Amino acid sequence: MRRRLAPRNELITRINVTPIIDVALVLVIILLVTAPMLSVADLPVDLPTAHTREAEDERNVSITLSSGGHVAVDDEVVTRSQLRSKLAERLRQPGNEGVLVVVRADAGAPYSAVRELLADARAAGAKRLAIATRQSTEVPR
Amino acid sequence: MRGKRFFRGTTGIYDPNLTPLIDVCLVLVVILLVATPMTLQSGIAVARAAKGGKSGVEARASRIEITIQDDQNLTVNRTPVARSELRSVLRPLFAASQTRDVIVSCADGVSHGTFVSVLDEAKVDGAGRIAVMGR
Repeated sequence: MRRRLAPRNELITRINVTPIIDVALVLVIILLVTAPMLSVADLPVDLPTAHTREAEDERNVSITLSSGGHVAVDDEVVTRSQLRSKLAERLRQPGNEGVLVVVRADAGAPYSAVRELLADARAAGAKRLAIATRQSTEVPR
Repeated sequence: MRGKRFFRGTTGIYDPNLTPLIDVCLVLVVILLVATPMTLQSGIAVARAAKGGKSGVEARASRIEITIQDDQNLTVNRTPVARSELRSVLRPLFAASQTRDVIVSCADGVSHGTFVSVLDEAKVDGAGRIAVMGR
């Protein structure tokens, strides 16, 4: 079967949809890649800055302590009394054995609150803990 | 004089179409601008130390204990140290320590930011594992 070719003197009158498809595919890929990173609660948290870079690209379960004292496990806001059970539930999910638990606490929060979160995380079964920081761009002295 | 030269059927478009490439690049730039603050999150790995753990003489000799009393005052191995002098005190201790393990305890009223900055300075100076003392 022969392909039908456009006559030489015919103008292209259709809309070129190639750019929009390109952009849409790029957006889909970006969303697929960034989706795991966005699984944190939408609470206001001013993370403390640090030079140390550990556990950056590792899958984790996060505990967020906001400036207002609200607590969340990943993207779910929970009460202080629910924290241990919700976290234990997350850690029991398939694939979460030995997963890193990251405490994202506001820089202005009192240390006693962070210590309680760390204690609760341990009690819920967390084996590995980390404290989230914002990467400092300054060179350490 | 004719104002506009019309495309003739015998002439092709020979220039490469750069529009899709520019579209994709602009989308990438926007995504990067939005995602940069999120990806700059990092972390400091910590363990929780229980009181009474590792009580051997050798373990006690090689580990470094930092106590944060308030935002400006610390003790390192029970010796008072000013906050500004922490790094100069820690460096020789890490050089002499085999394990470079650090145990940090912190007063309740100290801010989380201060606590993290002490951990960070210890890490920058070469701390190995950091354990946080529970209550």
